[in-house]
Amino acid sequence: MTHTTLSTSPWWTNMQENLPLLRLLHPKQYASAVGISLAIGLTLSWIVLAAGVAPLWAATAMTLLLLLPAGFFKWRDDYRRYGRTVMFLSVLLTAQGLHTIEHLIQWTQYHILYWTMRQSNGLLSPANAEWVHFVWNWLVLLVVLLLMFGGMRNVWMWLLLAVAAFHAVEHTYTFIRYQIILRELTAMDILNVTAQGLPGIVGRDGWLARSEWTRGTWICSIPGLTTAVRLDVHFWWNAIEMTLLILAGHVALRRRMQGEPLP
Amino acid sequence: MALVRFVTPLLVVVCLCSAQADHGWKAPTAAAPLRVVEASATETPWSTAPACSNAFVSHRLDFIHGARLREINTYISNGAGVAVNDLDNDGRLDLVFASVDGRSAILWNEGGLRFTPEALDARFTRGAATVDVDGDGWIDVVFTHRGLEPPSFWRNLGSEVGARRFERHTLPGVDRYAYAMAWGDVDGDGALDLVTGSYGVELKQHGILRPESELKAGVFLYLQKGSAWEAHRLDERAETLSIALLDLTGDGQPEIWAANDFALEDKVWTQQDGRWVEIRPFDRTSHSTMAIEWGDIDNSGRLALFTTDMNPYDTSPRNLARWLPVIHHLEEYRARGDVQIMANVLLLPNGDGRWRNQAVARGVDASGWSWAAKYGDLDQDGYLDLYVVNGMIAADLFGHLPNGELVEENQAYRNRRDGRFAAAPHWQLNSSASGRGMVMADLDDDGDLDIVVNNLRSFAQIFENQLCTGESIQVDLAWSPSLNRHAIGAQATLYTDRGVYRRDVRASGGYLSTDPVRLHFGFPEGTQLYALEVRWPDGVLSTLKEPTPNRRIHIFREEQAIPEGAMK
Repeated sequence: MTHTTLSTSPWWTNMQENLPLLRLLHPKQYASAVGISLAIGLTLSWIVLAAGVAPLWAATAMTLLLLLPAGFFKWRDDYRRYGRTVMFLSVLLTAQGLHTIEHLIQWTQYHILYWTMRQSNGLLSPANAEWVHFVWNWLVLLVVLLLMFGGMRNVWMWLLLAVAAFHAVEHTYTFIRYQIILRELTAMDILNVTAQGLPGIVGRDGWLARSEWTRGTWICSIPGLTTAVRLDVHFWWNAIEMTLLILAGHVALRRRMQGEPLP
Repeated sequence: MALVRFVTPLLVVVCLCSAQADHGWKAPTAAAPLRVVEASATETPWSTAPACSNAFVSHRLDFIHGARLREINTYISNGAGVAVNDLDNDGRLDLVFASVDGRSAILWNEGGLRFTPEALDARFTRGAATVDVDGDGWIDVVFTHRGLEPPSFWRNLGSEVGARRFERHTLPGVDRYAYAMAWGDVDGDGALDLVTGSYGVELKQHGILRPESELKAGVFLYLQKGSAWEAHRLDERAETLSIALLDLTGDGQPEIWAANDFALEDKVWTQQDGRWVEIRPFDRTSHSTMAIEWGDIDNSGRLALFTTDMNPYDTSPRNLARWLPVIHHLEEYRARGDVQIMANVLLLPNGDGRWRNQAVARGVDASGWSWAAKYGDLDQDGYLDLYVVNGMIAADLFGHLPNGELVEENQAYRNRRDGRFAAAPHWQLNSSASGRGMVMADLDDDGDLDIVVNNLRSFAQIFENQLCTGESIQVDLAWSPSLNRHAIGAQATLYTDRGVYRRDVRASGGYLSTDPVRLHFGFPEGTQLYALEVRWPDGVLSTLKEPTPNRRIHIFREEQAIPEGAMK
C-alpha cells in the first residue's frame, strides 16, 4: 500500500528515476511485513532486556532474525526481477546499512554520551566484536567480489574493493592477535578478561604507530592515521565503504536503467 | 685550574632581544625592563677522561629500597625518588636516596664513581629534594614521606661544622600531607618557596576516607616569609605525583602545574593580580600523569613539555596479555571537556597560548608503565634525548605475574635532531630493575651526563655514559646576595655556530626526584661557542663571551643589578 501511494507521487517517481537505489531498496509489498517484524522485534527486545533474561546483543540478534523472512522474500523478488548481481547488491546495501547503524551507535556512545571505549560497543558487537567484525568484513569482501564478477565494475567498485580488502586485512590482523592473546591469558589462568577491541594496523597504539619503521616518522604526523581510537577508525572505514558502495551501485543501476547492460 | 673571566654586560643585547622575541621561553616583558649585571666566572676542566665503549655501563650502588617488604602492593609500589647535588661543596655531585620501607641515605661522591653511603634517619620517604632552603650556601635535603607525615627538613650544617653533617629541623608552617614537592621562587621575593601535593589514594589507605574534606590534604603553596612559611591551599583534591614550576604563559612568571594520577585532571595555576587562578592551557594531558619534564628538544626556543603515563611500548600479544587484566581496571575516564589520554603526552606551544600534543608524531607516546622521564643531551650532539624508567611491582594488581611484577625495560630515545625521537637500544640503557626516581648528572666529572636510578626492590644503579661523543660545558650559578643561592629558576642560553641551546635551573618536575643545579650543554666536536647568557631569576642578564668547551663554568653574581640606562 505504501509503495503504491508513494509511487503515484510525481516527486517520488522522479526520485526513483534519479536515484535507482531507492527503487531497489524499497521493500515494496513487503513494507508492512518489515514494519510489523520490526515492531515485534523491538517490543520483544524491550521485554527481554527489561526482564534481564538476555543481553543487548541477543535482543538485537532476535530483532534481526525476525526481519529476515521479509528480507528473504524481498531479495527473492529482486533476484527474479533484476537477476543475481543486483540481488547481491540489494542484500549488501541493506546489511551494510544496518552495520552502519551499529557504528553510528558506537560513535554516539563514545563521543556524545562519553561512555568508555569498552562500554561503547554498539548493539551487536558485545557478542564478540572480533568475531562479528572479522566474519562480517570477509563476507563484505566476498560479496563485493561477486558483484564484480557479476559485471558490476566501475571506478567506485574498484575503490570499494581496495578499501574492503584492506579493512578485511585489518580485521584479520586484530582477529589473529585476539586469538593469540586469549591463549596467553588462558595460559595464565585468566578467563574473565576480554581481549577484544585492541588496536589494529592503523589508529592509536596500532601497528603503524608502534612499528620501528614508522614510529616517529612523517607517517605518524598524518592526522588520525596513528592517533584515532579504534572506534573512530572503524567508523570511518565503514562510512567510506558505505559511500563507495552507494556510488558504485548508483552508477551500475543508472547504466542498467539507460539500457546499457552491466559491463 | 681556575681561570677567571669577566663578563661584558653590554654584549649582544640587541641579538638577545631579537633571539628571544619569538621564543616561548621567557621574553623580556614590559613589566621587567632588560637589565644586565656583571658577574665573574671560573672555569674548571674535567677531572677524569671518559671511558669509551659506545654505550652506557651499569654500576650497582649500595642502596636498595622495597626489599624489606614481604609483598609490595599499591601504593608502596610507587617507590621513591633520588636527588643529586653537591652537598659538601667539593665540586662532586652527591646522591640522596629516598626509601619507602626504611632509612634514606646519602651517597657521598668520592670521585671515580666511588660512593660512601651514609644512612639518614629519615624513614619511609617518597620524594627527595636537594635545595639550599635557608640560603646559607650549603644545600639541604627535604623529604616527603609515606603516610601522614609532613615534609621533613634536613639542614646541612656544613657552614657551621665544616663537615658532612645534617640535622633534622622543621619548616615552620609546613605541616600538610605531601607526596610530591617542588621548589622555586614563585613570588619573586628572592627566597625559595615550596609547593606540595598529597596523594589521595594513599591517604585513604591510612584511614582518611575522604581526603578532599581533610584540611591537610590537597595542593599547597608555601611562601617563605622570613623564618616562617605561609600556607595557601590551591586545591583540596590531589592525587599529585609531580609538580612543575615553569613559565607556561610566557609572562615571565612561573605557573604551578600539579600532575595528578587517575581520573583527576592535571591542574595549572597562574598569578593574576596577586591571586592564583586556575587555567587550562593543554589540549591533552596524560591520564595518570607520573612525571613532568620539559626542555627545548629542537633548539627552536620552544619548550616541549613531556609527561609519562602507562602505555605498553611492546604491543606483542604476549606482553599485552600481561597488561590486559590491569588495563581492564584502568580504563580512561570519559567526560565532556576532559582532555586526559592514557599515554605519554608531548606538548608544544601552538602559538595561540594553547599547547598541543605531538607525542605520537614524535615517537614517544608509549614507553611502558613509566615513572620518571628526563631530557638530556646524552650523546652530546646538541639535541636533548629522552630517558624513561619503567616497571611496576604490585601483587594486588599483577597477581597473575611472577612476584606480582610487570617487568619492563627502561626506554632510551635518541633525538633525531629535529625534535623527533627514535629508540636507542644500542645505548644499553634498557635496565629492567623497576626504576622509579631518576636523575641525569655528570657523576664522574668527565663532562657527559650519567644517569642515576632509584629502583624498587633492586639496587639503585648508575649508568655511566661511555658514548664518548661530542663535547660539553657545565654551568654552576652562584647568586650570593640572594637567598636563592643557586639561582633556581634561572635560564641559561648558549649561543653557538651550530644553534642556540637552552637550559634552566630547576628543583621541580620529574618524579619524586631533584635535578642538580649544575647545567649541562652538549654540542658536537668543533662547535664554536659565541656566548653564554644567564637570565637570573629576577630577570637580570649576564653574558659570558666565548666560553671554553669542556669546562665546568662557575658563574658568580655578586653585584646588585644595574639598570639598563646605567650600562657602560
